[in-house]
Amino acid sequence: MDHFPTNWGRPRNDAYDAYGTYPIAQRPYNGPKDAFAQGIQHTQQPIVTGTSVLALKYKDGVMLAADNLASYGSLARFKDIQRLQAIGAHTVIGAGGDMSDFQYIQAMLDELIIDEFTAQDGHTLGPAEIHEYLAQVMYARRSKMNPLWNAILVGGVKDGKRFLSFVDLLGTTYSASTLATGYGAHIALPLLRTAVEGKEDILNEEEAHKILEQSMKVLYYRDARSIDKYQVATITAEGVSISETRHLETSWSFAEGIRGYGAQTQ
Amino acid sequence: MNSFAERFSTTTAASHMRNAQKLAEEDDEFDGTMWGSSAGFGSIAKGVPSFTVPAVADPTAFLRLHTDDHADPSCRIKIQHGTTTLAFRFQGGVIVAVDSRATAGSYIASGTVKKVIEINPYLLGTMAGGAADCQYWETYLGMHCRLHELRNRERISVSAASKYLSNLVYSYKGMGLSMGTMICGWDKTGPAVFYVDSDGTRLKGDLFSVGSGSTFAYGVLDQGYRWDLTDEEAQELGRRSIYAAGHRDAFSGNSCNLYHVKEDGWKFIGNYDISKLHYDGPGNVPGSDGRPYGYDIRVEGLSSTNAPEVAAAA
Amino acid sequence: MPSIEQPQQRQFNPYSENGGTILAIAGADFSVIAGDTRQSEGYSIQTRYAPKVFRLTDRAVLAVNGFAADGNMFVKKVRQRLEWYRHAHAKDMPLRAIARLIQTMLYARRFFPFYVYNILGGIEEDGTGAVYSFDPVGSYEREACRAAGAAQSLVQPFLDNQIYFKNQLPAPGTSHPAHLPLSTVLSLVIDSFTSATERHIEVGDGLEIYIVFSKGSTSLQGLASVRGLQEVTTTDDGERVFVIRRELKKD
Repeated sequence: MDHFPTNWGRPRNDAYDAYGTYPIAQRPYNGPKDAFAQGIQHTQQPIVTGTSVLALKYKDGVMLAADNLASYGSLARFKDIQRLQAIGAHTVIGAGGDMSDFQYIQAMLDELIIDEFTAQDGHTLGPAEIHEYLAQVMYARRSKMNPLWNAILVGGVKDGKRFLSFVDLLGTTYSASTLATGYGAHIALPLLRTAVEGKEDILNEEEAHKILEQSMKVLYYRDARSIDKYQVATITAEGVSISETRHLETSWSFAEGIRGYGAQTQ
Repeated sequence: MNSFAERFSTTTAASHMRNAQKLAEEDDEFDGTMWGSSAGFGSIAKGVPSFTVPAVADPTAFLRLHTDDHADPSCRIKIQHGTTTLAFRFQGGVIVAVDSRATAGSYIASGTVKKVIEINPYLLGTMAGGAADCQYWETYLGMHCRLHELRNRERISVSAASKYLSNLVYSYKGMGLSMGTMICGWDKTGPAVFYVDSDGTRLKGDLFSVGSGSTFAYGVLDQGYRWDLTDEEAQELGRRSIYAAGHRDAFSGNSCNLYHVKEDGWKFIGNYDISKLHYDGPGNVPGSDGRPYGYDIRVEGLSSTNAPEVAAAA
Repeated sequence: MPSIEQPQQRQFNPYSENGGTILAIAGADFSVIAGDTRQSEGYSIQTRYAPKVFRLTDRAVLAVNGFAADGNMFVKKVRQRLEWYRHAHAKDMPLRAIARLIQTMLYARRFFPFYVYNILGGIEEDGTGAVYSFDPVGSYEREACRAAGAAQSLVQPFLDNQIYFKNQLPAPGTSHPAHLPLSTVLSLVIDSFTSATERHIEVGDGLEIYIVFSKGSTSLQGLASVRGLQEVTTTDDGERVFVIRRELKKD
């Protein structure tokens, strides 16, 4: 027994400085002991990654936007990747984080939709069901210490109801009338909230699109892992449509006049 | 390298075992006992309860990483602890006295914790270390003591009960359980006190104190302890010892719970506010002269310029 | 002797902390359970409306705080077990049994804890209001009041003073009441949350207050004048559950 009173009641490792004789607080090393000790390699860090996804609710439905870049570290590796994906007839998901995990999720959800279709019972999965399913999968994977390294937005319209929710690698979920993942949660979300909150039932498609385009532009100016090509997904009562790739018109001439930003002569 | 290959193998005996275990685990999730009134401790029907363990190389290190607030005060999951508990055997039975403070880091999470766990009318357990560990396993012990009664038509001895607990926690050794408990009661052999901790230590003895305030309690206890203490004197000694620990140990305090075990089972004597004991005394209780425990009363009106006669004479 | 070099943690961290505060107070024949609705991670507000307080039965309400994903999953599992109980016994599980159930469910994860602080409020079988509070691995205690979460260290001392009358002396010839009336309790809850919102960045946006009344409780009359009240009772067993929704500051 550890008879050092200040250690009382704390989980202990008897092999590790049991009596707290060493003065500096030290964390136990938790990783694998050597590369071959455990044969299983879980995704412990993302490799090919996507950046932010933005989404908002508007009068007729839900709109999502994501750029077309998949980075390999700081390298802009794949510049024509689609990060928005329709799942069934009422839903679109958009993902940031590890792209291989996202592809796995797409395959999994496609199979789910096929299974549901095969049942031919007159039911189809809406965005709420897909989000719940995804959240359970993500939470189960994190509980196995083998997460799917993504942050995903699920948007859709079914039975006249708009739906927009978030789920990430930890299984954390939440919903709001505007959402953003990754860098977008810091840079674009304040802009989206200002533009959208309280106007969810007023904004039309054109206005909603304008807000997203503006936000994507701001992100492109400041997010070094973004690109000026993006797609927009629109889900209304009529169904799902994902746009062709669009180009962001940006202007960098202002940089000339700013020391430490553009080309410097001295 | 053998074990590396085995991990991926799908044909060896080990892999079949693995699959069978996986299936059994999934079945466990929806155990039949969860349906009925046995909802809580239903798993006892199958013997030992099952626990979820994280899928990492070193589960103990994982637990320590996320719950140990000694090495890292900013860790998220703070488990409640910090305590003074004592129990001693004497001519009139067993006195059990504890404080009631629970701390999580430097925050006083509760000042009203019941650290004496009433296992059954003849057995008491004390709680030091992880609050949940003690509560859960001593409740579990209570169930097995009852099963012993049903099977053997007689009450379990304190020795057997404490051994059951120590064997149980020993099977979890190294997993991060933390408890230091005294199992107290009266059986065929008379009053008995056993110290059991999460390392598997089990000691029979006359007098124990456990917890961060134990050193302070021992100080008072040792100088006042005799076998032939009267009931009243013994109760006062227990109360006074916990007061001393509550006064001097930051992780102990708030109030003192006092129990007395006699031949016909335990009896709750009272709850005493530590501050009240300091300033006002325990009130009109047997064994006490009613005077405050604080030393203010003993120095009031006295100073070096006004020393008592005896001191001056010497 | 361990080496001086600090080991670096590279392993996946399955936990997060989502802020917010919960609180419950027991009255003589009612119980109040409240929580704010902000969900945050670090300095980002994820959403302004994510409930942390859940009606389990008509006599039990559970508030969860800590890691939101664990909290939601835990509530889901408790509800599943309560439904099974209902199917087996054709009645709702009593409050003290729910409390013990929660202990065993939390302790089953002793070695991979749910990072959740639970407060269970409701009505006991004898008709009294009760509050049970839990630590993440299942140690629990019945109390008269309890605050948990980000602002527990701001709110609990206030409740100690106003509910337990700690460090207060009664006026000469009087004594402190054992139980407070509903109107007083509700004001204390609202004041606790408006104050916590002022001084803690993780608290705010919205407030949900659940009130559980015992059968034929006379405290019900105190509700007549309350703004934003909604009844969420589902059975006609006698206990009744109400919820009050209020706004909190959003900055």
